[in-house]
Amino acid sequence: MTIADASNPLSNPTIAEKKLFDRCRAMRATNSRTSAFGLFAETGLPHRRMEQWKWTDIRAALTNLETPSIDLAKQTVEVPEGACVLIFDGVAWKLPETLPEGVSAHRQSDATPLKTIEGLPLGQLTASMTGQDSSSDFVSIEISGKVDQPIFLDFASAPAETAFARLAFNILPDCSVRLIEAHSGNAAFSSTLIEFRLQSGASVDRTFVQRASTAQSVGITATAVLGEKASFVQTALGFGAKVCRVETHVRFEGAEAHAELNSAYLAGDDHHIDFTSHVTHAAPSCTTRQLTKGAVSKGGRGVFQGKFLVPRSIGQFTDADMQHQALLLEDGAEVFAKPELEIYADDVECAHGNTSGQLDEAALFYMRQRGIPAVEARALLTEAFIVEALQTAHEAVRDQMIDEARNFLRAEG
Amino acid sequence: MADDIRVKDGIDADTVAAAKALQSENYSAGFATDIETEYAPKGLNRDVIRFISEKKGEPAWMLEWRLKAYERWLTMEEPNWAMVEYEKIDYQDIYYYAAPKTGAKYESIDDVPKEILETYEKLGIPLREAEVLLGVEGSADTAADARGTTQPAGTRVAVDAVFDSVSVATTFRKELQKAGVIFMSISEALREHPELVRKYLGTVVPQSDNFFATLNSAVFSDGTFVYVPEGVRCPMELSTYFRMNAENTGQFERTLIIADKGAYVSYLEGCTAPMRDENQLHAAVVELVALEDAEIKYSTVQNWWPGDENGKGGIYNFVTKRGDCRGPRSKISWTQVETGSAVTWKYPSCILRGDDSVGEFYSIAVTNGRQMADTGTKMIHLGKNTRSRIISKGISAGRSDNTYRGLVSVHQKASKARNFTQCDSLLIGGDCGAHTVPYVENRCANAQLEHEATTTKLSEDQLFYARQRGLGEEQAVALLVNGFVRDVMQHLPMEFAVEAQKLLEVSLEGSVG
Repeated sequence: MTIADASNPLSNPTIAEKKLFDRCRAMRATNSRTSAFGLFAETGLPHRRMEQWKWTDIRAALTNLETPSIDLAKQTVEVPEGACVLIFDGVAWKLPETLPEGVSAHRQSDATPLKTIEGLPLGQLTASMTGQDSSSDFVSIEISGKVDQPIFLDFASAPAETAFARLAFNILPDCSVRLIEAHSGNAAFSSTLIEFRLQSGASVDRTFVQRASTAQSVGITATAVLGEKASFVQTALGFGAKVCRVETHVRFEGAEAHAELNSAYLAGDDHHIDFTSHVTHAAPSCTTRQLTKGAVSKGGRGVFQGKFLVPRSIGQFTDADMQHQALLLEDGAEVFAKPELEIYADDVECAHGNTSGQLDEAALFYMRQRGIPAVEARALLTEAFIVEALQTAHEAVRDQMIDEARNFLRAEG
Repeated sequence: MADDIRVKDGIDADTVAAAKALQSENYSAGFATDIETEYAPKGLNRDVIRFISEKKGEPAWMLEWRLKAYERWLTMEEPNWAMVEYEKIDYQDIYYYAAPKTGAKYESIDDVPKEILETYEKLGIPLREAEVLLGVEGSADTAADARGTTQPAGTRVAVDAVFDSVSVATTFRKELQKAGVIFMSISEALREHPELVRKYLGTVVPQSDNFFATLNSAVFSDGTFVYVPEGVRCPMELSTYFRMNAENTGQFERTLIIADKGAYVSYLEGCTAPMRDENQLHAAVVELVALEDAEIKYSTVQNWWPGDENGKGGIYNFVTKRGDCRGPRSKISWTQVETGSAVTWKYPSCILRGDDSVGEFYSIAVTNGRQMADTGTKMIHLGKNTRSRIISKGISAGRSDNTYRGLVSVHQKASKARNFTQCDSLLIGGDCGAHTVPYVENRCANAQLEHEATTTKLSEDQLFYARQRGLGEEQAVALLVNGFVRDVMQHLPMEFAVEAQKLLEVSLEGSVG
């Protein structure tokens, strides 16, 4: 399908969809852009009639696309000392003059979209909107050493209708990198795509904080393909937006690799946050540990969708555990969850657990009888509950993240 | 399942044997009965619906209801979200009505067509039991008596036998009538108690609920109607035995059970079909209504022909089952043992509308050969203090796929609602699949929802208690998980449930999650 063909594939496109189609048509068509956009155009903006998006309706949220008139950027985390900072201003990546040893970056022309974004409509959209001849940069970064210095990715777009940011990381064998990301910015609709390729023995440690207003819609999409004995650790804290989808797809392609996906979400006051993940154990003896914790107050909606897929025979000896636990702090809060397993190999251990409800009354009672006022006891217990999912965060920002969580809970309490 | 299949360490040998015993080559109910059969013209159109309605002597409103459903069905699309694959069904290549030419109720054993007697005999029900089953006067009172075993009073079972599209016999009607219980085929109920049928039909599963339920609403042929009046505890177990016999025929039964205030009823359905190379469609609808303080226990032993090991033939089992706990403190409990059908698409559900109402779902699903089962439950919490419990065990063998798909939904006003879900899966061999797709929606702050999917995540307290009494961890887990399930299964009315008895040996040790 060419972009021209895709100009109006939907019977009833929304204003936002029309704008996106027009914008893509205005760019120079290359094979990869056309194919990425064609894939996106098959469904348009994801909506609730699509199984994977039934609780997160981007199309309904984005009926129109208008540049925000006020500053919407929110506090996330501060840049730690000594970090290498890459800033995305909504159009281009600002790279520092010198990069740390073992890090090299270059702007990509219209690179072939990786296969890993199949089934990720926001990833496909972002891929088609970035790269040379488009308004947004696509930067690829190669890691060829053990990089201690944290790389700080600041997604701080200027006020705009949209902001599309794309990065690709290639981590060479036995090399490692640690990332800290602040997803804030001023675009009405921002969509980020980060693709990780971890070669054998490589490791990535990724920590990020997302915060936006209810005038914004946000997509943060990441894919990671892991070689033998590679390790991918991700820790996220999200506060949501009008709609916010954080989607992470991990695929094990080498044996004995390990992934850890930990997330905490706090949503209230018409904020919507969705953590969706998909882990494919396409290699034997890989392990996954996943913990998602959430607290939602009145008007907030938390969504968790996790899936472990263990393909036939190649996924033997998988050991995977998925836990999602959420607190509904008050009436008017909503938590929707779908912890899913799809298993085709018989010698595996896959567990999943899901709870939602209130704080443990027994623990509250215990604290109150020790003289702690109810409000404080509640705040302490909720904080302890949430913080468990932030233990793997980068130490340079972990305390800041815990503070942000605490501030939210105090404000809600 | 080949004999030399490599099975993961830790999987209970009896479980493997039990699953193997359920392979299609051991299917004992797969014979066909040679009996003269009357059909509706093949295919589906308004005339066929009129034919069915006329055959059953239905009131005019019923025919209109059917035709309305049919118009709606024409606008609907077959759902494709389940994890099952099957060849497209040609809805015009099916007979929607088939009945033995002599089909009627029989006064004496001599009047019962020999073929039908033999059918029940072959299904493992000895002749004297069959006499009971067919309601012949003067025969032994219960199936248990006929077996020469003694069972306490109250374990008797009244049976409605549905052969293709018609009910051929309903037993113990008179005795049930004395207690005020109405137990008859839905065709008879439409003639004898049209006001009751009209009041409740389609109130739990609306005509336009889903593709298959709407099809059923248009063409349903027979099924069972039960009404237990206020304050009555049904004096015996009720049961329907569904038998598909005719070729190229679909079975579309409709069951409607109403338990009035304070009533109790336990109901069992069993089903088998001949081994045929073609796929046959079974699209049933079951509606349960429990009013204030009423309780309905609904058990299913589903043993439709699953197709051979290469996936040839077998029943497509697309069933909509739903119970409505309409009154406060009502309770509906679904227990299902699923071993048959080529493709299963079935989610017995509870709408917990009344305050303090309770919904339960206990399921063991075993798939072999090329079977595909996508089954689970929906618990919709609307009332305050509503409670639900879901225990699901899936066992996959051969090249089959077994999916648990469930929804727990707590609405805003369902204050202090409570759900506990546990679903475990076991794979026997490396060519099958086990999947879990739970949906959990919580809109109420003080509701408590828990979902577990491993044997290791049992209540720590229970485990600790069992271990401090000297049990090893594995033994303790087996006791707590399997003991519980076994207990449930032992409460199944076992009159026809040979398969269920075999499943009592099943253990979930070595489950994958």
